Order: sequence, then structure tokens, then C-alpha cells
Amino acid sequence: MSTVRSTLNETIGIDETRLRKFGVYVAMYGAGILFFLPYWYMATQSILPRNLIFDRNPHLIPPAVTTTWYEQLFAAAPMVQWIINTIILAGGVTVVVLVIDSMIAFALTRLKWPGRRLVFVTILASFMIPAVVNLIPIYTIISSLGLLNTYIGVILPLSGGALGVFLLVQFFKDFPKELEEAAQLDGFSTVQIYAKLILPMMKPAMTALALFTFISTWNQFVLPLVLLQSESMYTLPIGLVTVRDAYATTSQPGLVMASALTASIPLLVLFLALQKHLIRAVELQGTVE
Amino acid sequence: MSISTPQQRIRAVREEYSLRETLEGYGFSVPYLLVFAAFLVYPLAYGFWMSLHDWNALFPDRTEFVGLANYQTLLADPQFWNALGNTVYFVVLTVPFLVVLSLLLALGVNRSIKGRRVLRTLFFSPYVLTVSVVGLLWQDVFETNGLIAYFTGFVAEPVNWLIDPLLAMPAVAIATIWWTIAFNFIILLAARQNVGEQLYEAARLDGATSWRAMVDITIPQMRNPMMFVVITSFLSSFQVFGQPYIMTDGGPAGATETIVMYLYRTGFSAREFGYAAAVGYVLFLVMVAVSLVNYFVLQDDGGTSA
Repeated sequence: MSTVRSTLNETIGIDETRLRKFGVYVAMYGAGILFFLPYWYMATQSILPRNLIFDRNPHLIPPAVTTTWYEQLFAAAPMVQWIINTIILAGGVTVVVLVIDSMIAFALTRLKWPGRRLVFVTILASFMIPAVVNLIPIYTIISSLGLLNTYIGVILPLSGGALGVFLLVQFFKDFPKELEEAAQLDGFSTVQIYAKLILPMMKPAMTALALFTFISTWNQFVLPLVLLQSESMYTLPIGLVTVRDAYATTSQPGLVMASALTASIPLLVLFLALQKHLIRAVELQGTVE
Repeated sequence: MSISTPQQRIRAVREEYSLRETLEGYGFSVPYLLVFAAFLVYPLAYGFWMSLHDWNALFPDRTEFVGLANYQTLLADPQFWNALGNTVYFVVLTVPFLVVLSLLLALGVNRSIKGRRVLRTLFFSPYVLTVSVVGLLWQDVFETNGLIAYFTGFVAEPVNWLIDPLLAMPAVAIATIWWTIAFNFIILLAARQNVGEQLYEAARLDGATSWRAMVDITIPQMRNPMMFVVITSFLSSFQVFGQPYIMTDGGPAGATETIVMYLYRTGFSAREFGYAAAVGYVLFLVMVAVSLVNYFVLQDDGGTSA
């Protein structure tokens, strides 16, 4: 049957595998264009002059360009301040998570103490808790601690996640016991084994966790939205929405697109520079089962 | 071992663990456990406690214990059912695409086609965007003179999707798929690369078509990652908040108000904290149920095809 078909194809001059390959190219590049167009649209809308931006059809190739939206944006909104705020918050969570997660992962994998299995199972079970369930009680708790509108009040609730502990445990437990024993013979204390042996050897895992934590905190929306209340404290994601709302009545798509593009650039640059590590960070999460 | 008095057990523990190592173990665990207990475990219990009260945030002494009254009000509120229905609708609109499209993109990028690295970067890139950028961008894309209308303009009168009761939720779903497919895509791409090529060679020698190879090798070999992708997609779609909050604010006429938006509105606009905490708990129960159903359905599926 298949020989009949292949001879038929040979006589018409079309190779079936080549035809299929062509189909794959069309589908993949088609999808690529669909993924790319929104970026292109965001960029072109942000540089279109006012008289063109409301035209019935969008100008995918701008006939004229302007920087006026960016000038207005930076004059009207503290974009740089928001970027700094977001770096403080994301950096703060990343540091806290790396320190406390690596410490407990070390205790769970390299030290013998009663109750460690129960502790690990409890941490794993917390995967079942959806973040938003705790939104109201966390607001109330942070409020009664007097930590509303402070970064520490946002950093702490974002630092207790189980994912980092789980990831690091997977790596720490495979660390060769002989190296640890050799270090003990050399007179290393437990703290030294943690700080001078395990941590340096676990750099790839720590880097992946750091990247993942930084990006997911950078993009946090609902918790900063309810916990931070003054404009000078806002993170970028919250600030952007207030820019849009401030101009909602007059509707300034150019300005809004300029703000969106400006906000995406820091992480897109980070993404392009560290893509390999980031892919690794996501892949690791696929092993959480 | 199994039959032992408390004294024997304590002695066994003393023999098994050294005091020093035990103290070190607790010492290294305490920082994380404090944060974990204070901001994950305690809020979960405190939220349930709150949900049993008519909570007064301004005057705590006027807070009243009301038992399950919040839950009763909730179940009788048509707006709650509307929000739950919208959320389920959103899940139905997004999850199949988030799973199937990410699988197809992963299988495509895994082939030896030219420019696959560029394509991989492109499909993965929305992962680093914040929900505000996605929301604001796609809000404009769906405008009457936006990108979508530009292409549909040839066949239909251009409309603003986000103010159309029938099109608003699909629009939010499309934006979400573009944004969140990246994560699944990378997981499934890694999973596909872990499937041994010799399996495909053997199949080829047996004369299997590539469709059969996909059904008999690719899908079963990628079972666990697929399950992971399905469950995480379900859980994140159930908790959707930022996209509709930014793009539609729940409109038009409540057509895109999801359960988390309802929780946010009752909590932070109406200041009904006890009530909103009850909404959170109901959402929690729904999600646990969905996870269990998912788990058993996917397990069952494996049983019949194996």
C-alpha cells in the first residue's frame, strides 16, 4: 500500500516527507508571527503621532514617528521610581528565599533530626494551598503588624513558598556523602559545610531558583496591589495600571503602549541575556510531581 | 520495635539522633519555618476563623461571630454563581488550548527546522511579561481600531471585543493563552527531548506512521509532564484575576467577573472581610476537588489506553 503511494508521489514529483516538512514550516512560522505581532503592535503604537493613532486601521508600518508619548510618560509618572521599587521588592524576596530555603534544604537533606520527614511532608502539602485563599487573612495580619505600605510587609508573605525548598532538596540530597565526610575530617563545622561546601557546589540550582523567584516577584500583581498604598511605593505592575486609569477619560493608547513597552524592557533584556538559565529554571519545576 | 513503651521510644530516639545534630537541624530550619508558619499556615486557619465572623476591619470589637452565615449568604448570591460560572467558562476556554497548543509548539520546535531557536525564544518570551503589560497591550489589540479588528475587518464589521458580552471572555482567554503558554511549552519541550530517540527508530523499522508514533510513544512517554501541565493550567486558570481586572474590570455587565475578582471586590471594595474570606475558602475547596477529579480522570485514562 505504502509502496503504491510512494511510487505515485514519485511520478507526480512530490515527496511526502517534504510536503509534511513544508506543512510544519508553515504552521510553526505562522505561530511565530502570531506570537510576534503583539510585540510589534505595542512598539509601533507607542511611536505613532496623535493624528494617526486613532485611524480606523492600525498602522503596522508607521508612516511617521514621534517620541512624544515617552516624553509625556516620563513627565507624568514616576516610572524610574517604580522600576527601582520593583527591583527592591524582587531582590528582597530573592535574597530571603535563597537564604532560608537553602538553610532548611540543608537541614532536611544533610542533618539527622527527629521530625524532619513530617516537616518536609507538611511543606509539600502546602502546594495545595492556592495563593489567593490567603489574600484576605494576610492583609489583616500585615495590617495588624503595622506593615501595610512597607516592602517588608510584601516580602515576608511572598517568601514562604514551598517550591524553592522542594527544588533545593532534590539537588542537595544528591550531594556526595564522601565530600561531606572529607570536609568533616578537615575540621569543617556544620555551618562551614553549608556555607563553604554545599552552597558553592549548588550554584546552578541556586541560580535557577534566584532567577525564577526574581521574575515571579517582579510580576506579582494582587498582593502588592492590596498591601502597597501610596504612589511612591508602587511596583511597576501596579503603577502601569494607575497610568492607564489616569488617562482613561481621554484614552491615550500611545502613552499606555509606551508605558507597557518601557515596563517590559528590563525583564526582556534579562530574558535574552539569561535565557538558558531561565529555561533550566522552568524545566526544574516540571520535575515537581 | 513496633510494640514499645513511651520510655523505650524516647531511648530509641536518643540513641538514633545526636543532640548536637538535632539542634543544628532545628536551627537551620527555623528561619524558613517561621515564615512558612506565619504567612502560609496561620493565614489558612485565620482565614477560616474570619469566615465565621461578620468582620469589622475598622472596629475590631464590633466583629460578630455568625457561624456559617457567610457561607449561606454566599451560596444564595447570584453574583457568586455568576462569578463561579464565568471562571469555569474561562477554564474551559483556556486549559485545552494551553495544553494542546503548547504540546504542538513543543513538538514543532523539537523538529530540525531552520530558526527553531528564534521560535523557541519567541514562544517563551511572554513568560517574563507582567500581567499589567499583557492586559494593557491586549486591551488595545481588541479595540475597534486595534490589531484584531484589522484582520477580522475583511469579514465582519469591526467591534471592540471587550465591551461585547459574548466576545469579552474569549478575548481575555486569548490574551491569557498568548501570555501563559510559555511555561507549558518549555516543560513539554524538555519532556519531549527526554524521550529516547531509539524508541522512534524502532517504531520506524516496524513501519509505524508518525501519527502512530505520536499516539504510541510520544504521548505515553510524556505522561507525567502532561499531567503536571494539565493540573497547573487548571489551578492557575481558576485563580485568574489580573487579566480581567485590567482589561474589562469584570464587564460588560459582569460577563467577565471571575471568582477571585468577586473575592477582591467583596473584600477590598465592600470591606466585607469575613464574607470575602468565606469566598476564599469555597474557592479552595473547589480547587481541591478539581485537582482530585483531574488526578483520577487522568489516572483512569492511562488504565484504559494501556
